[in-house]
Amino acid sequence: MSDTILVVVEQREGKLNRVSWETLTAGQALAAETGWTLEAAVVGSSIANFANEVAAKKVSKVYAVESPKLEPYTPDAFSAGLKQFIEAKQPRLVLMPHTYQVRDFVPKLATAMGRTAITDCVGYKNEGGKLLFTRQMFQGKLAADVSFTCDAPWFVTFQNGAFRGDKAEAGASAAPVETVKVEIADGVIRNKPQEVFKEAKQAVDLTQAEIIVSVGRGIKEQKNIELAKQLAEALGGELAASRPICDSGWLPMDRQIGSSGQTVAPKLYLALGISGAIQHIVGMKGSRTIIAINKDAEAPIFEIADFAVVGNLFDIVPPLIEEVKKAKAGS
Amino acid sequence: MKILVCMKQVPQKDAPLKLNESGAWIREDVSYEVNEPDAYALEEALRQKEKHGGEVVVITSGPARAQQVLREALAKGADRAIHLEDNAFVGLDAFNTARAFAAAIKDETFDLIFTGLQSDDYGYAQTGVVLAELLGWPHATIIMQIEKSESGIRVKRELEAGYFQFVDMPLPAILTIQSGINKLRYATLIGIKQAKNKPLRKVTMAEVQSAVSGNLQKIERLYIPQKTKNTEFLEGSAGEVAKKLVDKLRNEVRVL
Amino acid sequence: MLVFRKPIEGIERPQMPADVVIVGGGPAGMACALRLSQLIDAHNSANPNSPLSKENIYLLEKAREVGQHCLSGALLDPRSMRELLPGFENEAPLDAEVTKEAVYFLTEKSKFKFPITPPPLRDHGNYVISLNRFVKWLGGKVEETGITIFTGFAGSELLFDGTRVTGVRTDDKGVDKEGHPKSNFEPGYDLQAKVVILAEGTRGSLTKQLIAKLDLAKNSNPQTYGQGIKELWEVPSGRIAPGEVVYTMGWPLTTKEYGGAWIYGGKDNIVSLGFVTGLDYADPRLDPQHVLQDFKQHPFVSKLLEGGKMIRYGAKSLPYGGWWAIPPVAGDGWMILGDSAGFLNSQRLKGIHLAIKSGMLAAETAFEALKKDDSSTAVLSGFQKKVESSWIKDELWKVRNFHQGFEHGFFAGMFNAGMQQLTGGRGLHNRYPGTAGYQHMKKLGDLPADGGNEAQLLGPAKGDGKLTFDKLTDLYHSGTKHEEDQPSHLVIHDTNICNTRCVKEFGSPCQNFCPANVYEMVDDTEQPNGKRISLNPSNCVHCKTCDIADPYQIITWVPPEGGGGPNYDGM
Repeated sequence: MSDTILVVVEQREGKLNRVSWETLTAGQALAAETGWTLEAAVVGSSIANFANEVAAKKVSKVYAVESPKLEPYTPDAFSAGLKQFIEAKQPRLVLMPHTYQVRDFVPKLATAMGRTAITDCVGYKNEGGKLLFTRQMFQGKLAADVSFTCDAPWFVTFQNGAFRGDKAEAGASAAPVETVKVEIADGVIRNKPQEVFKEAKQAVDLTQAEIIVSVGRGIKEQKNIELAKQLAEALGGELAASRPICDSGWLPMDRQIGSSGQTVAPKLYLALGISGAIQHIVGMKGSRTIIAINKDAEAPIFEIADFAVVGNLFDIVPPLIEEVKKAKAGS
Repeated sequence: MKILVCMKQVPQKDAPLKLNESGAWIREDVSYEVNEPDAYALEEALRQKEKHGGEVVVITSGPARAQQVLREALAKGADRAIHLEDNAFVGLDAFNTARAFAAAIKDETFDLIFTGLQSDDYGYAQTGVVLAELLGWPHATIIMQIEKSESGIRVKRELEAGYFQFVDMPLPAILTIQSGINKLRYATLIGIKQAKNKPLRKVTMAEVQSAVSGNLQKIERLYIPQKTKNTEFLEGSAGEVAKKLVDKLRNEVRVL
Repeated sequence: MLVFRKPIEGIERPQMPADVVIVGGGPAGMACALRLSQLIDAHNSANPNSPLSKENIYLLEKAREVGQHCLSGALLDPRSMRELLPGFENEAPLDAEVTKEAVYFLTEKSKFKFPITPPPLRDHGNYVISLNRFVKWLGGKVEETGITIFTGFAGSELLFDGTRVTGVRTDDKGVDKEGHPKSNFEPGYDLQAKVVILAEGTRGSLTKQLIAKLDLAKNSNPQTYGQGIKELWEVPSGRIAPGEVVYTMGWPLTTKEYGGAWIYGGKDNIVSLGFVTGLDYADPRLDPQHVLQDFKQHPFVSKLLEGGKMIRYGAKSLPYGGWWAIPPVAGDGWMILGDSAGFLNSQRLKGIHLAIKSGMLAAETAFEALKKDDSSTAVLSGFQKKVESSWIKDELWKVRNFHQGFEHGFFAGMFNAGMQQLTGGRGLHNRYPGTAGYQHMKKLGDLPADGGNEAQLLGPAKGDGKLTFDKLTDLYHSGTKHEEDQPSHLVIHDTNICNTRCVKEFGSPCQNFCPANVYEMVDDTEQPNGKRISLNPSNCVHCKTCDIADPYQIITWVPPEGGGGPNYDGM
């Protein structure tokens, strides 16, 4: 057993998945907390450039876990390859982002090693040397602090957005990169994945949106929704609404947020003309940042807003759109 | 096609939850319902049976109240049910739940095992994948569509950001099913009546005890997430407020 | 475009034969099923060679779970339960035995305690219960005996052969907002039943159909109703003892309205409190939910609730008409029980024990019908006779004129009540006439614009979010949920009346008397008065107030797709 933390980053379709930086931030924080050494690994075939990209960050070492059989991704190959690697290295903690791909193989990997994974965590706690990992339960209504009751290696996956990817510290100099070839026997891989493709989704999945601009009764008329749409576009976000808007047919039902619609927790929720009835709040109160614009100073939405503007949204949104466009053009 | 559907009974989605005395779990006096993704898994299994013939078996682990989930499944058209009935099953982690299931079905020969992609209470998304490793079967997760093929099945996997992927797999296999992929059927009066006579096999903890061991992880405590909200009111003319907002968006929220 | 729910026409429906179908799984329906089961079991042990089967006895319950739509204060008079299940106190979920009662008359800031609790309101020997938990327990016992309870299925129509009731049609499932079948459409079943027992609660929809079709109410007083609005609270310990019962009259109502409040101490520091408002008030702007919020602001109540948390909300109507408003309760192939018939003692404010007793008597009659294989009026009228010679009649006869005595206000009512007390219920005449509540509603033009003395009762409550709540916040705590994509189950027979006449004459009282924000007048420039009726049917808590109180009587409440409705856990 070595006192190391291993961050396994994710690369897909020729790109490093940006959410990996968040995991690295988590790894750096845990390393500082525990005093353990932070290392990283990239898994795949011909991944040297990814390893180098990761090596620019503050880590002690980066491994390129290589095998031609690791491309394309299959759970069989990743589990077999990583098992070999982790058994050899014996890190204490293995961290990964909770992506669709990681969900697909990490439970298998952990089970194959006789271990377990605490998945979809939003944070951690260090209680006198014992590490606890915090996760949301019951769709965010309760939180749980979970500990490992088995031996290391311990597998943890972190929820998208739980840590700040931009806070991953850069290294003073490039970390050493080591290529590790893993052997994956014939017959191990049973799935035959085809090409990944994009489909124009029928229903919009607001739970995946990072930025949501949402309208309520304060938008007054259907034609005014265009204004909110422009703001959403300027910000690169999705349009959503409270129930009455969808009931009137001004927006389709799959854009409804609330107890009879979708529950979301995006990075930014911008509520325009939404009063904040409890039926709506329960669908969005988990949002990281909430900005509310409403002309009623007593609107309950202000109780859960981070930034509040008491005013007429029709006065504020047009200049806001301009300022957002300027900021984006300038940067 | 012989299909096993693993189902879970969870507290109703909008049930008010209270912590129990130990603070490590919730009080059980709430209303329960079937885990939503599992309902879609069952519907998919029933549709496969309608297309290709075969048998649909449902299994759950939990106290007596969990039987309701099996009854509803039988009423909708499942053929048989297996209930690992014991309070002790409630606290098992995914690893041990999967081991208990594997032990309970060791004499059966299924072609496919479905689970919902995750549960509405724990949300771990692991049991199906752990079971695949324990049985030594191939698996795929977050499945939207299943078609029979010459070599086994072709499934459609959902990926992030609107991407999808087809995967060819041999049988037997385990699939975790995405929610909302089909329209759930209603149980009919005749289905409910017939369900009473369908086989429901009870399995005690004692029968699977040898397969199960101590949990590999532990919920130390459960609590209501505290949010310290300091609402900052932005004032000024419309133009000034717009500028202030953008400032916040750029420097504090970091979306610009 | 509002599309209203009605059974899909021109399709083949699955047919299912039944011996007995009980529509409604409340205390009346459950007691009936249990008693019937007991009688069949006894018969089968005595007659092993000619057993009766329970295979084809069904109970239909529209809620997803037994008890989910049951709401009451509640206080249970154990009289009928002791007959049904001797020793039931040892296993039934009872919160507490009543230990202390008090009746108060409230003014805005003070209260006057009645020195002696009026005998009808004396509750010693009664139990504080949660009707929801009680019915769940009773339902468990029914299922144990082998009677099938179909949850999530509503009775949507009665089947007739001339004037004979031949069965019940269940709800169509999987119908979209426009009234078209969806891909998972399941037609309602036609349950061809020998005996149909209606136990739907107050203002039952099938009961209403039956009464209309057979003109059953022609010799009775019109049924009159109240709306009970309830909140369940968790309060700091020591505020109220389990089993403590409080009734109030007076504020916030004036002498012109009928109603009052209850506060019951349950166990685990749970308080059940609520306000019943007679649905015969004059001002259409009166909002019963607002009345409850006002009531909580009385110092006596706010002190009780301070620091507490409201955990559940709900509403239900109750039948006040008494003995003279009960229609014939049996006929060719049918019987009516409980609140559907109107078996409620409005003076004692109790009906659960009467519902249970009526269920038992109906079971005895149904049992006779099964044995004789004859469910015609000849046999089923036995139920009518049983009721008339039972303590149901004894009890209700004494209070037969109670509610009607209040038609002219509080003081007249108290005077009449006093007279009735001295004359075994007769009062000034053997039978006081009654008027349907909605006929008391005055037009806005005849009322002071500011509401006069009733101003505090009118319009929507604002709520401070801690002690008092606006309707939408309260509604969230009713847990009500429905399949969204279905036609509206609030059937308005002519929406033009809403948009052209009612909005001017009465100011759209549906927005006020509905405790669930189902009805809303929204802006619409194309309408003559600039407003149009809009519905949020999925907010409905199934109280039936709209069906009862609408001044034009153009609203018919029909059951939505089974499984939907409030979630009265613990209520």
